[in-house]
Amino acid sequence: MSSEMKWAVANIKSSYNNTIVTITDLSGAETIAKSSGGMIVKASRDESSPYTAMQMANRLAEQLKEKGITGVHFKVRAPGGNKHKNPGPGAQATIRAFARAGIRIGRIEDVTPIPHDGTRPRGGKHKS
Amino acid sequence: MTQYMKVPVERIAVIIGPGGKTKRDIEKRIKTEFTVDSSNGNIEFPEGGDPIQKMRTVDVLKAIGRGFSPEKAITLFDDEMLMLDIIDLSESTSTQKEQKRIKGRIIGRGGKTREIMEKLIGVHISVYGKTVSFIGTPEQNQIVRTAIDMLINGVNHGTVYNYLEKKHQDIMKRQIQDTYRNIEFVDDEKEDEDTQDDDGVQEDVNDTQESIDDMQEDIDN
Repeated sequence: MSSEMKWAVANIKSSYNNTIVTITDLSGAETIAKSSGGMIVKASRDESSPYTAMQMANRLAEQLKEKGITGVHFKVRAPGGNKHKNPGPGAQATIRAFARAGIRIGRIEDVTPIPHDGTRPRGGKHKS
Repeated sequence: MTQYMKVPVERIAVIIGPGGKTKRDIEKRIKTEFTVDSSNGNIEFPEGGDPIQKMRTVDVLKAIGRGFSPEKAITLFDDEMLMLDIIDLSESTSTQKEQKRIKGRIIGRGGKTREIMEKLIGVHISVYGKTVSFIGTPEQNQIVRTAIDMLINGVNHGTVYNYLEKKHQDIMKRQIQDTYRNIEFVDDEKEDEDTQDDDGVQEDVNDTQESIDDMQEDIDN
C-alpha cells in the first residue's frame, strides 16, 4: 500500500427489502457518498436485487474516484437483532461491482448485530 | 486480519476430503491456505489473498458445514449469481420432537418433497441438523424460502406443490424471454454492421421490450 492510497469505509446494510450503502471516512463520522436501492429503481421489489446493487456500486465508485479515494473497506450487516441474520442478495453484488469498477478492496467485515438473547421475535404463528 | 469461522466437527472430514483433496482444491481456487482445527471445527484464514474469493470461500465452507456435498458447494465458486441461504428451524419450533416432524415434512416420504422442490425450481436443498439450506439464485431462493415457510406453518403438501408448479412455469416463461432477447441483440448487431433497415430493427426491439414488460407484469400479478 503506497502512501497515495486513500481508504474509506463502505457500510452496507443489506436486507431482503433494500440495500443501503453509506461510504464514510475511516472513523465513520464523515459521510463521503451514499446510495440506496430506491435511488436506482422505482419498483420496491427491485430495491434489494443484486442488479440494483451493482448499479449503486458503479455510481458510488465514480463519485469515489472523483474524490480521490482508491480503496474501501467493507462493513456488511444484515438487519440482525431478532430479524434475519444473514445479509441479503445485494451485499455480495455490491462488493464485486466495486472490485470491477477498479476500487481496491480492503477488509470485509460482518457487523450484523447479534443479540445475546434480546427481544421477542415477531409473528407468533409458528409455535404449537 | 485473520478471519475465523466455525463448522460442525462431524463435517470437518468432508471439508478436508480423502487425503486432503477437497481442501487442496478449494485452496487452489482462492490461492491462499487455511487451517482447520479438527478438535473444535475452527477454520482460520490468514492475512492476504483476494478478499472477494475469501468471502466466497466462507460461503462454500458454510454450505459444506450445513450438509452439502463438496461438489454442490463448489458450484458457489463457478456461478457468482448463486447464493447460499440458511433457514434455522430452531427459531420456529419449540421442541426437538416438533423439529423432527417439520424436517420430515420438508423432506417428504423418501425425499419426495425435497426432490420436487429441487427439480421444479432448480436449487440444491440440504436438511441437516436444525437447519434447512439451499443454493440458488436470489429469485429461486425467494421461492424456496416461501415454500419452506409454508411447510413449516403446516400448509398441505398439495398446496405447496401447486405453488411450486406455478413458479416453475413463471421461471420457464422468463427463460424463454431471455433467450428471445439474446437473439434480438445478435440480430441487432448484425444489422448495425450492414447499416441498412435501421428503423425496422429499432421498432422490432421496442416491440419485444414492450411484450417482455407486459409479461413481466403478468408474472408479478
